[in-house]
Amino acid sequence: MIQLHNLAVEFDEGFQLKHINWQIEQHQHWLITGANGAGKSALAAVLAGYGEILAGNTSGLPCNIGWVSFEAQAELIQAELKKDDADILDVISLGTPVREIIFTAEIDTTVAQGLIHKFELNYILDRAFRKLSTGESRKVILIRALSCHADLLILDEPFDGLDSTAHTLLQHHLAEVVQHTPVVMVLNRFDEIPEFISHIAYMEQGELRHQVKREDTQAYAELYQLLHLKTTDLQVPVADTDNVIPALDPQQPLVKLSNICIKHTDMVLLNDLNWSIEPNQNWQLSGPNGSGKTALLSLITGDHPQCYTNDIFVFGYQRGNGESIWQIKQYIGYVSTALQWEYRVGTSLRNVIISGFYDSIGLYSRSSDRQKQIADQWLALLGMPNRGDQPFNKLSYGDQRLLLIARAMVKHPPLLILDEPCLGLDDINRQLVLALIEKICAARETSVIYVNHHAQDRIAGIDNYLALEKSSDNC
Amino acid sequence: MAHYVAYISIYENINKAYYDASFTRLKLLILQPQGFPMSNNYFNTLPLREQLEQLAKCRFMHMNEFTDGVNALKGKKMVIIGCGAQGLNQGLNLRDSGLDVSYTLRQSAIDEKRQSFKNASENGFTVGTYEELIPTADIVLNLTPDKQHTPVVTAVMPLMKQGACLSYSHGFNIVEEGMQVRDDLTVIMVAPKCPGSEVRAEYVRGFGVPTLIAVHENNDPQGHGLALAKAYAVGTGGHKAGVLMSSFIAEVKSDLMGEQTILCGMLQTGSLLCFDKMIDKGVDAGYASKLIQYGWETITEALKYGGVTNMLDRLSNPAKIKAFDLSEELKVIMRPLYNKHQDDIINGTFSRTMMADWANDDINLLGWRAETGETAFEKTVAGDVEISEQEYFDHGILMVAMVKAGVELAFETMTAAGIIADSAYYESLHETPLIANTIARKKLYEMNATISDTAEYGCYLYNHACLPLLNDFMKDIDTDVIGRGLSSDDNGVDNARLIEVNEALRSHPVEAIGATLRGHMADMKKII
Repeated sequence: MIQLHNLAVEFDEGFQLKHINWQIEQHQHWLITGANGAGKSALAAVLAGYGEILAGNTSGLPCNIGWVSFEAQAELIQAELKKDDADILDVISLGTPVREIIFTAEIDTTVAQGLIHKFELNYILDRAFRKLSTGESRKVILIRALSCHADLLILDEPFDGLDSTAHTLLQHHLAEVVQHTPVVMVLNRFDEIPEFISHIAYMEQGELRHQVKREDTQAYAELYQLLHLKTTDLQVPVADTDNVIPALDPQQPLVKLSNICIKHTDMVLLNDLNWSIEPNQNWQLSGPNGSGKTALLSLITGDHPQCYTNDIFVFGYQRGNGESIWQIKQYIGYVSTALQWEYRVGTSLRNVIISGFYDSIGLYSRSSDRQKQIADQWLALLGMPNRGDQPFNKLSYGDQRLLLIARAMVKHPPLLILDEPCLGLDDINRQLVLALIEKICAARETSVIYVNHHAQDRIAGIDNYLALEKSSDNC
Repeated sequence: MAHYVAYISIYENINKAYYDASFTRLKLLILQPQGFPMSNNYFNTLPLREQLEQLAKCRFMHMNEFTDGVNALKGKKMVIIGCGAQGLNQGLNLRDSGLDVSYTLRQSAIDEKRQSFKNASENGFTVGTYEELIPTADIVLNLTPDKQHTPVVTAVMPLMKQGACLSYSHGFNIVEEGMQVRDDLTVIMVAPKCPGSEVRAEYVRGFGVPTLIAVHENNDPQGHGLALAKAYAVGTGGHKAGVLMSSFIAEVKSDLMGEQTILCGMLQTGSLLCFDKMIDKGVDAGYASKLIQYGWETITEALKYGGVTNMLDRLSNPAKIKAFDLSEELKVIMRPLYNKHQDDIINGTFSRTMMADWANDDINLLGWRAETGETAFEKTVAGDVEISEQEYFDHGILMVAMVKAGVELAFETMTAAGIIADSAYYESLHETPLIANTIARKKLYEMNATISDTAEYGCYLYNHACLPLLNDFMKDIDTDVIGRGLSSDDNGVDNARLIEVNEALRSHPVEAIGATLRGHMADMKKII
């Protein structure tokens, strides 16, 4: 059993792994995954004994490790190049032939020859290793690692640079190897995960954030989406050009609330509040429970009955002059826990997204093919491709939230209101939602109001803050 | 103030008139010239030809008839009388649709800050007295309970401006009480077919509830009654869920018939009989109570989706044949009762007796309400037992038979009386699941609290007549059809008989119109 206990490790480039607690038991085959720069390869390298331990300890690391990685490959090539440089004789070095690179003392010749045969590599055995193509040298490294009777195989992106025939060959071979050798694999794409992987470690910012059993299908699916959002170059699907929201005057604020006062029989919730939201501003709204955050937002969305007794200018309308709430709502995308509670309709994932075009809960209008297409693009972006016909109410809580964010975004509203979008979500889902919000803020075509209890809980791309306090005054 | 006193004394006179029928006509004649327009039953004043024509009105309107949106009401001043569940929620919807809405309440309700005053003012609406607001109104929405209509309309009518519109959400006052509305006023009806809370909830979701509209042809001097009614239906969101164009008369006569027979009466009588039978035969009281309380809702859910046919298709073949036979027997026994209810409704006997009770401080209604609260079913709490969805059918064969018999009888009686099949369908089969749902929530108490006093009164009349009528029938009933289900050795059926039963179920006229209308509604509601 290999154990990493509270480990902090530093690498040459100053990259650090922190707070690593990990245990690999016999018969487990792990996948390490995460976005680029998350520390996947570093964690694998720790198992191979690399890095300077700053804190914590390791136990049970095997001595004989078969290691395939870009780094291992580079290291070997570097060594070869050095030999060349070191050659002070005035003769051209031919470099070490592949045969010598493969058949070293610790190699099981029979296994190695079998693999050379399978990969059809006989023709390169006498060539100089440093003259090989990337794919060829990767195969050489693979053969070495697979033929050394390792106690642990570390395969860091082993399929990189392999053609499809070689890819399949390797998959088949690994299926045998895992019968007697534990494998730790590094991949940044889930769709290449071999069957035999039993556990998944998810790295982010140098920390081991999630450990998930393959058989836990729910957690596995969420991890898949998280990785998808983190690793895909997110292209927010375009708006429906056939149904354009009437344009707003860019010189006017999106929202201008003047001397707002909300009172109930026995209390004053908000008193004399002024707030103006200009186009392309992103705001964070914070305040304790009961400070009136949601009430304030519902004045903007038109859901508060007292929006007719306050001075409210929204999207070109001074409220209370014959406009309908649907004329207001067309400019707003809205997500909250309350919306999720209210969204209890037996409808499909695709229709939930399309309902964002109509600001309705459920879909009551005939949708166009274009709208269906856009909805499917959003589903793909959320890592739920081909699930458009599944029922919304069967989704996990976190997936429902993601879908409602897509519903809010689908029409590219000038204002997106996210009222505590992470409330009630577990860590993976919270990160999923935040990843999506950051992408949206970065695009800068929608103004975002992000509501959160904690003023310090900040999101990249948000630079205006409104903090409410509990009011005790009278209007 | 003098005005108010005068009105009270005259109203009392009218009440007395109900007691003394021979003087009624005389007194009314005396009263009318004084500016308090009262008359007798409006329907009865019409010639048969017009009665039949009005009864037969009911048409499912096409979505493209609403393209003008709320324009006909844009900039018009809408004043709502009454701020209960219908009043408040319709007002919230209309305001959110960009219309100008305010509330008028009696001076006392404002001074004492009653709930209706709080409802309106806390939601940011202008609230004023009749004198303050009615004269400014382009359309007055009367959303008070039936029994207040005469005093309310009598009080507001003199204050209404020339050429304004008076809107109702139930036609009782016009049709049964014969309210005579000033000639220059337009009279329309817009009746959402759901409780007020749902009217609001569906609107907020971006949808609406099915709504019935009508124009009182005697009062459409400018010919824009229909345009106003359509705009009003759009303002409440009703057009998205489907609008039925009907008449005041068809609405009243079919609504009364449906609510007092199959909808409320049959479910009340059925509940009491089935419960007592199960107790008598030793079924656990908690189980019996639960089977009935939730059984109506479960079995009528099947009705909602696929009519009587689907409800019976949920049973095993032997149970289906059993339910069919029971329902045929029930129909023979109960048909005279359904006919009597329909006759009393058509000729005005029902409304006359009920109004006599109004005049007598609701003494019958309140007494019967208390009596219902004392029944064994009402007092037995539903047991903490698991009953699967299918078990409600399998152990409730008699309940299925009662629903089938009630729906078909109500439908047959209504259509025989000249009510068009569409109306008859909505007021019988369509609404049964809605009422069953109230029983599931809190038994008969909840049902009778939710429905109007008018429906409740009719429900008790039905119940009192139906209980003794089914006395002999119930003697032969055992737990195989209510409480325990058929034993597994009665599994065989005769092919010919099964085919006959299936054929009879499917060919009943309520099934044909039901399939068509459910298709329309599905098109409206269907999440495409």
